[in-house]
Amino acid sequence: MSEIKAPEAASADRKAAPSEEKDWAAAKAHYENLKSKKPRPPKPKYAVTIAVSSRTLFDLTAERKIFEEEGVEKYVQHQQDNENQPLSPGVAFPFVKALMTVNERLRELYPESEELFDIVLMTNNHAQVGVRLMNSINHYDLTIERFCMTGGQSPIGYLKAYMTNLYLSRDSKKVGEAIEEGIAAAIMFKPDVETKLSETQLRVAFDGDAVLFSDESEIIVKQHGLDTFFEHEKQYENKPLAQGPLKCFLEALGKLQKKFYAKNERLNCPIRTFLVTARSAASSGARVLKTLRSWGLEIDEALFLAGAPKGPLLQKIRPHIFFDDQMFHIEGAKEMGTIAAHVPYGIGQKYNKGKLIEPEKQQN
Amino acid sequence: MENKKNHSGPLMIALQHDDLFDLNSVSTNTELPKGRAFTFIKAVQTVNERLVEQNKNECLLFEVILIAMECTEDVKMKIVESVKYYGLEIGKFYFCKKEELKNTLQSNKVKLFLSTDRDDVQEALRSGISAALLYDQADHHVLNPLKVILSGDVLGFSEDSLESYLDFELSENQIETVKAAKICVKEFAVLIGQMRRRFGPDNSPICTCVLTVWGSRNVCASALKTLREWGLDVDEAFCLAGAPSNPILSVVNPHILWDGGFHNMRDLAALS
Repeated sequence: MSEIKAPEAASADRKAAPSEEKDWAAAKAHYENLKSKKPRPPKPKYAVTIAVSSRTLFDLTAERKIFEEEGVEKYVQHQQDNENQPLSPGVAFPFVKALMTVNERLRELYPESEELFDIVLMTNNHAQVGVRLMNSINHYDLTIERFCMTGGQSPIGYLKAYMTNLYLSRDSKKVGEAIEEGIAAAIMFKPDVETKLSETQLRVAFDGDAVLFSDESEIIVKQHGLDTFFEHEKQYENKPLAQGPLKCFLEALGKLQKKFYAKNERLNCPIRTFLVTARSAASSGARVLKTLRSWGLEIDEALFLAGAPKGPLLQKIRPHIFFDDQMFHIEGAKEMGTIAAHVPYGIGQKYNKGKLIEPEKQQN
Repeated sequence: MENKKNHSGPLMIALQHDDLFDLNSVSTNTELPKGRAFTFIKAVQTVNERLVEQNKNECLLFEVILIAMECTEDVKMKIVESVKYYGLEIGKFYFCKKEELKNTLQSNKVKLFLSTDRDDVQEALRSGISAALLYDQADHHVLNPLKVILSGDVLGFSEDSLESYLDFELSENQIETVKAAKICVKEFAVLIGQMRRRFGPDNSPICTCVLTVWGSRNVCASALKTLREWGLDVDEAFCLAGAPSNPILSVVNPHILWDGGFHNMRDLAALS
């Protein structure tokens, strides 16, 4: 086949007339499309599966208002009437585009591999709303081929059936349930200002305690204060922390990064990970780094803030997503334009800005 | 198919006796033990009850015909007794030979023939009978709404979407089968759609789904639009794009899965 193709390609190059080359490229592309060279979604068991809800993928604020004020029937009718109107991008949109970019690079290097990101649309929405969602996905040419429209049923069973590695939603109840079932999950928040993000590199930032690691140390801070915490961390420096809800997702990212390193692409790797922690490097940082090492995980940049606010630093990092367990940090991040995702796990949920929340006032 | 369609009459479904009752386990009781179609028939009866609650004169109800082929007199008696014992609403009994099946179903205007046996379903489809796979629900004690899955791969099929089936090539024969199956299920879909519309979005005793296993999202969208044209607004939709279907099916937990025999065309194991 290549023998037949080669002379034509060679002659096209030699001609070098821009319009003819363009025509040939267009014809080639069309031909390849006909033979369904559209990338096939990877097998779930090899892929890193990210499930996004419809409200994180698209901006459904106006539609949500109709749902809350006028009920489900009016809402579904509205969506159907506006079926051919594409929805605006939502808070997870840049993250999804970045995942697609990584997939393109992976396919270039490993054309036969199924170790890719697999993006699944996981929504509680009624199937009739699905047509508008699919039209919108087509409009932006997103590679999302798998979806579950559960018509009101809980998505948890489906998350497991798809072997989901990360679930993003705006619904705190569903995210809480997912975390309880051992699935990495976070509630996404829209930043107050827009930030320009990288289109060539996926950048993911993580908080340390109660996100990558368990909340065991955070419990000590909350219940016994900082000094006890520092002593404790120094004493147990060589004892790895227990893992937190997002450890496995970091691990999955690391596996994909290693595929780039194996092909000598370390400097040009389209995935970059950051640790942004309130810990200080001197007094409690070592334990964190040693824990990561003991898990065989690498993180590209570890930033120890020693209690300083995370917002300004995140503004410089510009991640496509930043995971933290404490709403205080989420709010700080979002104020300064970072896309933040709350991980409702651990003792941090019972506190607000360091003060214990009274049970009635507790946020879900 | 026919132009004169009776859209207000009962929705006729046929079941086999060895699905309704368990003929293999030994029992000393006079009635036969419950079989794999039991949860289905209970769900169907609930739908009928709810329909009649809303409208005493409702004509659009499920009517179940029980088919028993090649039975001894003894078993025939037991079947009738058991139906009475469990209080099942069986419209008619047909004790017939295998060759008579097609005529029996056609003369009774059966819209769907159900069986737990894939080969039975395939054979029925091949002889032009609209048939679907019957699933046994895992938990017999929980009464779930009647859940019907229709195949998005078949319903969303169109000649120019051939390349959307993830580079599985369908032969001419298979394409004809798919097109025929799509036409075949329309009557059933229209009636189910009408029934579903008697209830609101929540707390409905019927739940309809579209499951697309190989087709792309456009195939799924096309299936949803086709069903909508036929008057069936589906509740749930799943698009697998080649992912293994069993894990999803066990969460969806259907009573009926209609796919026009599409699944038998491909080796499902090859996908997992």
